[in-house]
Amino acid sequence: MHWHARIRVAFGPMTPDADIIEELAQHAGATYAARRADGASEAEAIARVDEQIAEWTTDPSVFHRRPRRPAAVVPPGPASRAIGLVQDVKYAARLLRRQPAYAAVVIVTMALGIAATTVLGSVAYGVLLKPLPWADAPRLVRLYETRQGATGRFQPMMTNASYLAWRQPAPTTLDAIGAWSGRNATVTGLGEPRQLKVAGVTPGLFEMLGTAPAIGRTFATGEEDPGQPSAVIISRGFWQEQFGGRADILGQRVRLDGTSCTIVGVMPSSFAFPDRETRAWQPLYIRPVTQSGKPGTYISMFQAVGRLREGVTPAQAAAEGTARGRSGPTLGPVGVAVFGSNGPVEVSALPMLEALTGKVRDAILIMLGAVILLLVTATANVASLQLARATTRRREYAIRAALGAARGRLFRQSLIENAVLGLLGGLVALVLATWMHRVLPSVLPANFPRLDDLSFDLRMQALAVLLSVGAGLAFGLLPALNATRRNVVPALVEDSLAPVGGSLRSPLARARALIMAGQVAIACVLLVGGLLLLRSFTGLMNAPLGYQPANLLTARIILPDSDFTPEQRLPILEQTAARLRGTAGVAAVAYATLLPFTPGTVLSSFPLRKRDGSTLQIQTGTRAISAGYFAALGQRLADGREFTSEDSATAQPVIIVNREFSRKYLDGRALDWTIPGQTERAPRRIIGVVEDTVRQNVIDTPAPEIFFPATQQPLWDSDENVIVRTTTDPRALVSLVRSIVREAAPGASIESIQTMEDLVTGSLAQPRLYAVLLGTFAVFAVAIAAVGLFGVLSYSVAQRAREIGVRAALGAAPHDLVALVVGQCVRIAGAGILTGLIASAWLSRSVATLLYGITPHDVTTFTIVAAVLLSVAALAAFVPARRAASVDPVRVLRG
Amino acid sequence: MVTHALERELKRGSAELLILALLEDRQRHGYEIGRLIADRSEGAINFHVASLYPTLYRLEDRGLIEGRWVEKSGQRRRRYYRVTRKGREVLARQRSIWDKFFIALDRVARIRHA
Repeated sequence: MHWHARIRVAFGPMTPDADIIEELAQHAGATYAARRADGASEAEAIARVDEQIAEWTTDPSVFHRRPRRPAAVVPPGPASRAIGLVQDVKYAARLLRRQPAYAAVVIVTMALGIAATTVLGSVAYGVLLKPLPWADAPRLVRLYETRQGATGRFQPMMTNASYLAWRQPAPTTLDAIGAWSGRNATVTGLGEPRQLKVAGVTPGLFEMLGTAPAIGRTFATGEEDPGQPSAVIISRGFWQEQFGGRADILGQRVRLDGTSCTIVGVMPSSFAFPDRETRAWQPLYIRPVTQSGKPGTYISMFQAVGRLREGVTPAQAAAEGTARGRSGPTLGPVGVAVFGSNGPVEVSALPMLEALTGKVRDAILIMLGAVILLLVTATANVASLQLARATTRRREYAIRAALGAARGRLFRQSLIENAVLGLLGGLVALVLATWMHRVLPSVLPANFPRLDDLSFDLRMQALAVLLSVGAGLAFGLLPALNATRRNVVPALVEDSLAPVGGSLRSPLARARALIMAGQVAIACVLLVGGLLLLRSFTGLMNAPLGYQPANLLTARIILPDSDFTPEQRLPILEQTAARLRGTAGVAAVAYATLLPFTPGTVLSSFPLRKRDGSTLQIQTGTRAISAGYFAALGQRLADGREFTSEDSATAQPVIIVNREFSRKYLDGRALDWTIPGQTERAPRRIIGVVEDTVRQNVIDTPAPEIFFPATQQPLWDSDENVIVRTTTDPRALVSLVRSIVREAAPGASIESIQTMEDLVTGSLAQPRLYAVLLGTFAVFAVAIAAVGLFGVLSYSVAQRAREIGVRAALGAAPHDLVALVVGQCVRIAGAGILTGLIASAWLSRSVATLLYGITPHDVTTFTIVAAVLLSVAALAAFVPARRAASVDPVRVLRG
Repeated sequence: MVTHALERELKRGSAELLILALLEDRQRHGYEIGRLIADRSEGAINFHVASLYPTLYRLEDRGLIEGRWVEKSGQRRRRYYRVTRKGREVLARQRSIWDKFFIALDRVARIRHA
C-alpha cells in the first residue's frame, strides 16, 4: 500500500516536507499491519488508517521541523572581523593538516627558495654594500701604479718613486696617504718558531682608518725611520694566545725574523687590516730611490691607500698621482723587471670597497639573480599547485558562497590560507638560512673578500619574513581571485570533467600552462648559465699545465734570513732531498725557489744581446732549481739537457730558459746562446729549453722564464720549495717529509705541505664554487619544472578523461592518445624552451667575465640544454600519457 | 476556558514528560512511542496520535530529543528518536515537579496517583 501518496493528497497544499511524509507513511503502514494482525479486514484497516490521516491533517501547520544544523560557516557580522580572522587561520590550519603532503611540498619548496635568496642577499649586502668598518670609508681609495706598455706580470702596487713624489709636497686631492706591505715573519722566543702574518704600515695609517688601539698607542711619525728602536703593535688574538692577555703587555719584547721588537700597543679584535690573518703591525719605512752617500738605486713596492679630500673624485686623484709619479725618479732596469716596460707612470685610484670586492662582484650579482629566478619559479610552482587545487575546491567555495559567505570573506580566506603556507615556509627558511650562514665561511674560498662582514642580522631575517609573506600573497592571489569570481551555479551543477576538446579552454588551465612555460624558461636560463660555468670549469680542470701534477707532494719551507745565510740554505735543501730520495715510495726529489701555484714572483731585467746583434732590455721571471727538477715536476724538455750534479758552483755557468723566452727574445733558437753573467761571473750558456708551464693560474698565458742551477746562484730568498714525486698516494708521506725537514733544519718553519693537485684545485676554488652554485640552482629549477609539468599534464588528463574516452570509443589507438598528451607537453615545454633560449642568449653575456675557453653563446651548451629540457618534459609526460592511453571509455562515459 | 487551557497545558506537559520517559533507556520510533503511551496508560491519558508527531518535532526543535534515520537490514529505514543530555535534565526536573504536585494532591484530596 502506498501511504505516501494518500497522506500527501490528504494534506493538500500544506504538504510537509518529504522527511515527515515518510515518517507518517511508516506510522500508517504500521497501524494498518497491526489492525490486520488483530483480525480486521483490509477495508477496516484502511479505514482506521484514513481516520488517523484525517486526525493528522486537521492542523497541518504543526507538522514541520526546523532545519536542525546551522550553516557550515556563519558569515561574520561587521563586529566579528577579528574572530573571523582567527577562524580563517584555524580553517587554513585544518585544511593543511588534512593534506600534509601538499603542505610539505609547498613549505619545502618555498623554504628552499627563500633561504637561498636570503643567504645570497646577505652575501650581496655584506660584501658589496655594507660600508667598510673604517672612518670615512667611502673616501678611501686604493692607489695603483703601472707603466704604459706594462706586461702585467706583477700584481698592481705602488713604487717608492711615485709614492714619495706624491707625498711630498702634500697632495692636493688627498688629505692623507698611507702605505702597507704584508709579509710572513717568523716569530721566535715564544715556543716553537712559527710563521705570522705581519703588516708594515706607515705611521698615520691607523689614524687614516680611524682606529685606536685597545691598549697602548699607535706609531708616532718618524718611528719608522732607520735607526729607531723596533716597535710592534699586536692583535688582540695574538695577545691572548701568546701572552695569555697579561696586563703588563706594553714594553714586552717579541722576536720577529730575528729582530727583537717592543710591543707598544694592542689593536681591538674588530681591527682586521689589511685582512683577518694579519696579527702584528710594524712601522713601514719608505726608503727613497736614491740617497746621498749611498750608491745605486733602491726600489720598493707596497700597497697604498689615500683619503680623498671632500668633493674630489678618484679620477682627479689618479690624475694628480700620475703627474706626480712622472715627476719622480725613473726606475731604469728595475722598472723593466717589474713592469716589463719603462714607459711613463700611470696611477689609478679605485674606491676601497670596489678594490676589495671587484673580483667577486659580478659573480655575487649573477648568483643573486639566479636565486631570485629560482624563488620566482618556486613561487610559480606553488601558485600552479594552488590553481589545480582551486579547481578541485571550486565546489567547496561555491557551496560556501551559496550558504552566504561574502565574496570578501572567501577572498580573505584564500589569501590567509596562502599566507599561512608562506609564513610556515618562511619559518623553515629562517632555520635553513641560519644554518647555511653557519656553514657559509667554510664553503666560500678562503680568499673571498669580507668574509667577516657576512652576518645574518635582523635585516636579513626581516627580508626572509617579507619574502615569505610576499611569496605567500603572490601565490595566493590567483586562486583567491578565482575563488571570488566563481559563479555559484555552474560550479555546483557541472561535473569535474572538461568538455570535449577543452584541453586548455578554461582560464585556469591556460594560466597553469602559461606558468609552466615560464618555469621551463627559467629552468632553461639557469641550466644554460650553470652548464656554461660547468663546461668552463671542466675546461679549467683539464687545461694543460705544462707538467704532471699527479703524485706530487710539495713542501714550502721558510729559512729566515735571521737564522740562515744564502750559503747555508743549499746544504740544508741538499740534505733534505738526499734523505727523501732514500725513502720507499719516492720516485724523485727536487727543490726550487718557486713552484707553480705557490705565491711569489721573482722578476729580473737585463740587457740581452739578440741574434740580430741588437741589444734589448728584457723582463723575465727567474728561479733557482736543483738538478732533476724538470724530471721530478714532469715538465718536458723541448731541447738540450737538464741540470745535473756536474753543474756545480765551479763549473761553467749554465742556464735553462722556457720556450716563451726562446720565442720572444731569441727567435726560437735559444740553445747555446749566452746571457750576461749577473756580476763578475762569466756569461751563462743556455743548455736547455723547457716547455712553458702555468704559474699562479691555469689560464696564465706563457711568459719568459729562466732557470738557474741552485748550485751556481746564492739562495737569497728565504722561501724554498721541495717537491717529491711519489709512486703511491703522496699524502701518505706528509708526516715523513715534515720530520725529515725538521731534522735537517731545526730553525726552519714549514709553511705548508700539500699535494700539487690540491694546489691546482685550490686555485680553482672560485670558478668551482660558481659552477656548483649555479648548477645546483639549475638542477632545482629543472626539478621544479618537471614536477610542475607532471602535475599540469596529469591534471589535464584527468580533466580530459571524457574527451579521451570519446576518442577511444571512436577508435583512437593508445598511441594516438599518448600523442595527444605528449603533444600538449611539447607545446608547453617547447614554448618555454624557446623563450628560455632567447632569454639565455641575452642574459648569458653577464656570465662572460666568469667564463674561460667558452663563449657565452656556446652552441653546444644551448643544444644540450634544449635536449635535456625536452627529455625531462618527455619524462614528465610519460606517466600521464600512459594513464590517458589506459582510459576506459565505458567507465568514463557512463560516469 | 481557563480549565480548558489548564487541561491542555497539563496534557501537553504530561505528553512531553511521557515521551522523554519512554526514550530514557533506549531509542524508539514514532509508532512504537504511540503504542507504548496507549498501552501503559491503558487509555487513561487521552493522547491523540494526531499530536504525537508535532510533539516529537517540538521536542526535537528544543533539543530535548534527537531523531535520525536508521537503516536496519531487511527493514525499511525508520526514524528513531533518542533523548539528549538536555532532555535528560528536563526529564529529571519535570519528574521532581510532578512528584511534588502529586504529593500536594495527596495531602489535600487524599488521591493517590497510580
